[in-house]
Amino acid sequence: MTRGMPLALALVVVVALAPDRALAQPAPKVGVLLANHGSRSAAWREALLALDRRVRQPLLESGLVHGVKTAFMEYTEPSIATRMKEFDAEGFSDVIVVPVFLTVSAHTFDDIPTILGRKADAHSLQALKIERIERYTPRARTHFAPRLDFGPLVRENVLRRVRELSQVPAREGLVLIAYGDAKYEERWAALMKDIAAHVRAGAGIDEFAWGWAGHVAHYDPAHTTRAIEQVLARKERAVVVPVFVAFDEMFQVKIIGKGIADVPRHRERVAYAPDAILPDPAIDAWLVEAARGLAAGLGRPSPVGER
Amino acid sequence: MTTAFFAAVRRWSRILHRDFGYFLTAFVISYCLSGIALNHVDEWNPDFVVHKQEIVLERAYTEAEVDEALVRRLGGRVGEQEHRIVDVPTPGQVKVYYDDASLHLYLDQRRGLYERLARRPVFYEVNVLHRNSLKAWKWFSDAFSVLLVLVNVTGLLILKGRHGLTARGKWLVAAGLLPPAAALVVFGMG
Repeated sequence: MTRGMPLALALVVVVALAPDRALAQPAPKVGVLLANHGSRSAAWREALLALDRRVRQPLLESGLVHGVKTAFMEYTEPSIATRMKEFDAEGFSDVIVVPVFLTVSAHTFDDIPTILGRKADAHSLQALKIERIERYTPRARTHFAPRLDFGPLVRENVLRRVRELSQVPAREGLVLIAYGDAKYEERWAALMKDIAAHVRAGAGIDEFAWGWAGHVAHYDPAHTTRAIEQVLARKERAVVVPVFVAFDEMFQVKIIGKGIADVPRHRERVAYAPDAILPDPAIDAWLVEAARGLAAGLGRPSPVGER
Repeated sequence: MTTAFFAAVRRWSRILHRDFGYFLTAFVISYCLSGIALNHVDEWNPDFVVHKQEIVLERAYTEAEVDEALVRRLGGRVGEQEHRIVDVPTPGQVKVYYDDASLHLYLDQRRGLYERLARRPVFYEVNVLHRNSLKAWKWFSDAFSVLLVLVNVTGLLILKGRHGLTARGKWLVAAGLLPPAAALVVFGMG
C-alpha cells in the first residue's frame, strides 16, 4: 500500500499536467485513395499513376493526409480492395476516396460503394462477382470526394484543348465525344451542353454536337462519325475533343479515330488531337484541395464528406 | 506395317473420339449455349432477368421532401416493405435500395423505375464458366479445349474410303474453312 503511493502520485501528476489532447480522441490517420476505372491500356494506367505522383507530395506536405494510393476498379491490380487492405494494415482511421471519374455512372454511384461495403446494390453485387472484383469492407472509415464534373474543371480543360485546335472559330463546330452512360444519359448530356456553352463563350464556336463511344454506343465509331457530320452540315470544319479522363488506344485511336476516318475529306475538315483531360495542373490542384478540405474536416467532431 | 499402323490409328481414334466425346458433352453444350448468349450481349442481358416496373409519382418532389414515409409508401407500390438505404446519384434523382432490387426516382419527371434482379436460369451458370468468372477455371477450360481439338482430329481419322478424310472429308473440311476465311477477307477490306 505504502510502496504504491509514489506511483499513484506520479500518475496523478502526469494526468494533471498532460495537455488536453492527451485525453481527447486520437488524431485521425487519414489516407487518400485515388480510385479510377482501370483499363487494359498501359498508357491509360500510366496517366493515373502519374496523377498519383504529382499530387502525392502536396497532399502529404499538408500534414492532414498521411498516405496516398491509387487503385484500379477493374482489369488490373492494385484493386480497390487491395489498397483498402493496405490502409487497414497500416492503421489508417479514415480514407478519402477520390473517384477519378468524369461524372456520375453506375461505377461511381453503385459499384465503388458496393466494393467498399457501403452499399449492396443488387446489380453491382452480381456484376462484381462475375467480373471477379473483390469486395472489402475496410475498418477505416471511408469518405467520398466529388467527381471531376464538380465545378468548372472539365469545361476549362476542354476550352484549353479546343483553343489548341481551333483556327477560325466562326467557321468551326465543336464535337465532344465521351463514354456515355445509359442510366445517367441526361446528366452526361447536361455536362456536354455545359462544356459546349463554355466553349461558345470562351472560343466563339457556337455550333456543337456530341456522341458516345462507350458501352451505350456499343463501342461503335459510327456515333462519332454522325456527330461530326451533324456539325459539318452547318460548318466547314469540326473540332473534335475526346472527353475522357485519360488516353486509351481503344477510345482515342480505334473508336474516335475510325469515326473520323469515315468522314469524307476528314483531313481538311476535321481537327483532332487524341488527348485526354489528364494531365492538367488545375485538376491536380483541385484534387489536392478537395482531399485536404475533407481531411481537415475529419478532425472535427462531426465527420464530413459522407455520401 | 503401314496398313497395320493406319488400322491402329483408326482404332485409337475411334476409342478416343467416342470416350472423350461422351466426356465433353456437358462442356460443349454449355459453352455453345453461353456462346450464343454472349454473342447477343448488346440485345439482351445474358446473365440476369431484370423485372422492371414504372411508377408515376402523384407530383414532382424535391430531394428534401423524400423522407422515410414517402420512401415506404412508394416502396409499397412496388411490393417492397423494407429498404436498405437511400442515396442521391445526381440532382433531381433518388435511388432506394432493397435486397436484390432498387427503385430509381426521377423526382422532377414524376416517375420511378423499379428493377428486381434475378439470375437467368442455366445461362447465368454457363456464362460464369465461359467467362472464367470462377478463379482458376481457365486451366480446366484450357484442358477441355485441348481435348476438344483431340476429339475433332480423331474424328477426321476414324473413317477410310469414300467417307474418309482423303475423299469426301477433305471437301467438307475445306467448306468449313470458307465462312471464317470469307469473314476475314471482308474484315481486311473494311
